[in-house]
Amino acid sequence: MEHIRNFCIIAHIDHGKSTLADRLIQHCGGVEERAFRDQILDSMDIERERGITIKSNTITLPYTAKNGKTYELNLIDTPGHVDFSHEVRRSLMSCEGALLLVDASQGVEAQTVANLYLALEYDLEIIPVINKVDLPSADPDRVREEIDSDLGLDPFAAVLCSAKTGLGVDDVLEAIVEHLPPPKGDANAPTQALVFDAQYDIYRGVVMLCRVKEGFLRKGQELLLMHTQKTYHIEELGLLRLQRMPQKELGPGSVGYVICGVKSVRDITIGDTLTLVDNPAPKPLPGYKEAKPVVFSSMYPMASDDYGDLVKALDKLALNDAALTYEKDSSAALGFGFRCGFLGLLHLEVVQERLEREYDLSLLLSAPSVSYKVNLKTGEQVEIDNPMYFPDPTEIESTEEPYIKASILIPERYIGAMMELCRERRGENTVFRYLTRERVDLTSEMPLAEVLFDFYDRLKTLTQGYGSFDYEITDYRISDLVKVDILVNGEPVDALSQLAHRDRARPRALHYCEKLAETIPKQQFKIAIQGVIGGKVIARSTINAFRKDVTAKCYGGDITRKRKLIEKQKEGKKRMKMVGAVEIPQTAFIAVLKSDSGK
Amino acid sequence: MAAPGTPAAPRGAPGLYVHVPFCSAICPYCDFAVQVGNDVKARQLVDGLCREIETVAEPWRLLVAGPSTAAPFDSLYFGGGTPSFLGTDGLGRILDHLRQHLPVDDDARLFFEANPEDVTPRSLAAWRHLGVDTLSLGVQSFDDATLAFLGRRHRAEDAHQAVAMARQAGFCTLSIDLMYGLPGQSEDSWRRTLEQATALQPDHLSCYELEIHRRTTFGKRYAKGQLHPMPDDQQADLFVTTHRWLEDNGYLGYEISNFARSPRHRSRHNRKYWDHTPYLGIGPSAHSFAGNRRWWNEPSFATWKRHLDQGNSAKAGEEILQPHDLTLERLMLALRTRRGIDLQEIRETYGCDLMQLNAERIEHYVTAGLLRHEEACLRPTLQGWIVADSLAAGLSVQG
Ligand SMILES: Nc1nc2c(ncn2[C@@H]2O[C@H](COP(=O)(O)OP(=O)(O)OP(=O)(O)O)[C@@H](O)[C@H]2O)c(=O)[nH]1
Ligand code: SF4
Ligand SMILES: [Mg+2]
Repeated sequence: MEHIRNFCIIAHIDHGKSTLADRLIQHCGGVEERAFRDQILDSMDIERERGITIKSNTITLPYTAKNGKTYELNLIDTPGHVDFSHEVRRSLMSCEGALLLVDASQGVEAQTVANLYLALEYDLEIIPVINKVDLPSADPDRVREEIDSDLGLDPFAAVLCSAKTGLGVDDVLEAIVEHLPPPKGDANAPTQALVFDAQYDIYRGVVMLCRVKEGFLRKGQELLLMHTQKTYHIEELGLLRLQRMPQKELGPGSVGYVICGVKSVRDITIGDTLTLVDNPAPKPLPGYKEAKPVVFSSMYPMASDDYGDLVKALDKLALNDAALTYEKDSSAALGFGFRCGFLGLLHLEVVQERLEREYDLSLLLSAPSVSYKVNLKTGEQVEIDNPMYFPDPTEIESTEEPYIKASILIPERYIGAMMELCRERRGENTVFRYLTRERVDLTSEMPLAEVLFDFYDRLKTLTQGYGSFDYEITDYRISDLVKVDILVNGEPVDALSQLAHRDRARPRALHYCEKLAETIPKQQFKIAIQGVIGGKVIARSTINAFRKDVTAKCYGGDITRKRKLIEKQKEGKKRMKMVGAVEIPQTAFIAVLKSDSGK
Repeated sequence: MAAPGTPAAPRGAPGLYVHVPFCSAICPYCDFAVQVGNDVKARQLVDGLCREIETVAEPWRLLVAGPSTAAPFDSLYFGGGTPSFLGTDGLGRILDHLRQHLPVDDDARLFFEANPEDVTPRSLAAWRHLGVDTLSLGVQSFDDATLAFLGRRHRAEDAHQAVAMARQAGFCTLSIDLMYGLPGQSEDSWRRTLEQATALQPDHLSCYELEIHRRTTFGKRYAKGQLHPMPDDQQADLFVTTHRWLEDNGYLGYEISNFARSPRHRSRHNRKYWDHTPYLGIGPSAHSFAGNRRWWNEPSFATWKRHLDQGNSAKAGEEILQPHDLTLERLMLALRTRRGIDLQEIRETYGCDLMQLNAERIEHYVTAGLLRHEEACLRPTLQGWIVADSLAAGLSVQG
């Protein structure tokens, strides 16, 4: 156990976690030279394409230190994006230490701070690592200062390295074995192992990743999952190299995988404790609260025939993505679909992209919404994340929307611009404090709905890329919410309904009306498009009727030519969704919903 | 009830169409299969038509009648082009040949298209003598500037005289063709043409909107930006004006472009195209239809003639119509008529329960004032007529 080190790499997005993992893997001979590729742990297509990590990845590396001893390093590479901070949290649970990377030119950013706090919550030993020192714009001294002032860590403990060139990687490895503590655990105690992650293997089912705290896990044993109270038979266990490496047993302190015939990730809970049926532990390890979805949107197949395929695809995808929630939904305009819950907009995009790419589906998503609380006159409280179920205003006593506390790190020259942005987004109690002379930490209490969409982009633009932002959901606050419906010739287009703060309703509705007027083709009659709250019209646009669609002459008996023309028209109509008598092309929905984030 | 979608039992006597692909000059908007004719070509045409009549007689009989005797044609239509190119002798020869080889009803109506410049007391007498019942005159306009623009070979005065003479010659039905929706045409100018036309008291009027076709002279001028077609909105307004005005003046529009002084002057021949009555077309580019089959002839005069000279059929193509094709055609054509869609007919002859398939859609059409649902028919309103094609395209014909 003395020779085991369990640690994860945490940082703000893009500070080089996965690249450092590459160097560590190569240094320890964890991969053959010809099998290597950049960010080797990012195995999903979408991760590779976007150059970001979405899922944490675990690998066990053998390392022979300068002291001549060989260590077993269990490394976990984590994602940096806020949407996936639950992945970071899980990873932290199974570690004694963490490498906190800071980009030598960007310095400390919002998720650097957020991830540090997370690590401290789990009592982890932290090694600050200043990465990308090879960059011409690298300024390690300034970053040291920030490590001191922003993070309160010992700046002199920081290791300098370049994950790109490999410079300083030995120092990182030595620091891991020297400064991070080995795991503690009693080999003779009843077995306790923490399930900190799970993968799905199409051949083997669920592969649980676990960290053994006490005792041993051995092949063939009868397992008990303490939370679900289900028992399983251990079919295989072992270490996680780039491929799984089966072992006979996993001892205290070690990190590995267990396969025991679980069919879906939904059958287990991350944070559950594994013990043995024969000699169960008296109580489970401290658990872990699964991340709850914060953004909701309905997903419809473009072609209603594809609904069956969507069901299958979601079921499969969910085997691997426990955070995704989905339930059947249906829209008069778009047919059958699913109401899905996501951890954030990036998560939503990732899910959509994976469904479209891996399952060859073409999807339409309704306007994303957060989850609101509605206090009814009856005294009852209901949670609403789907505008379709928003109660009648006459039954509503009050409505509440989720608030966050945003923490925004910016150079002090952008204070004015950021205060203004926060005000625009209904921020309250916006305050700032100086971290150093040039940098401030601005905090603001804002409705979640206001930051979900383009807040981050606006922040980046306003601060010329120097600002960063993190948030946590804090509470629900009374807020004047309304349901905005879009009517096309008096018929509501349910998929376009949305919940919004009263002040936001009009511009949103107007935007929808205008977009629809641009994209719905003229039809045989005038089309009125209205944005309404209750019965009250707050925005409108019109599409004039086309006046003529008939040819004057049907030549002699050549009816065939004419029929072909009409068949062509009919063909075009197949790609339309009917709302009342109005045909709305899918392109109109896409145009409206795509541009939604801009408003 | 017939097998769904197969109007197996012909719904009336078949019609015969003869295409004469010649004109003395080609109008700049014309996209018919026509060319400038002369006496030599005209003789070749008459020979060719006679040969074609011989060639098609037996297959036609087999197709429409099977083992029994084929129903006789009750309408013979000479169109084009300019049928007067056949000459009196030619027309006579063809009629004889038709009667000899094909079953022709004794009371068959004879339709003949002619241009005002061809109308003389002599030609009128000859046509009457040969039995022409309905004469359609390609007047197009009573405005000289318009006639010049359209490249017509007559003037307003010729048209007046031609109509007046024809009127006196005593045809059962005298029809005149007019054109509107021309570039820059004012409502007033069109109304004056309508006034002059009705003052001559024809029995029937056909009013067509000008369409610009790509390969015509007008089409080319349009492509170069030298010709500005009337915008759809204005054409639509003129369409309404035309129907209202003519109705007020005793000519009821029984189809999008056709108006008659009384029901008996409605075209017996054209109706067959609209309701799947069998018809046989001879001459270049002519179309034929029977049962669930439509076929058409070589459009080029030269090719058509060569095939016949070599003892072959002049047929260029054929299609077998599926039940839904037939239904769609029937709907699209019925929506062009005043009577509209007869729901029972669609159900019984085409096996399609339109109301069940399109309940909501039809209700919306009715609410939008495009259709009227009355007497088990779906009748297009004036507004509905203008968008008739899109109405047809909006209806589902199969579940
Ligand atoms: N110049 C330089 N570039 C680096 C270094 N380390 C990483 N990068 C680059 O920084 C970018 C981000 O690297 P990643 O390793 O994907 O960053 P990450 O922290 O894993 O990002 P997320 O997983 O999305 O949070 C890539 O383009 C790397 O090539 C370094 O030491 N020097
Ligand atoms: S007279 Fe009729 S058929 Fe002949 S060219 Fe003119 S429009 Fe065409
Ligand atoms: Mg990464």
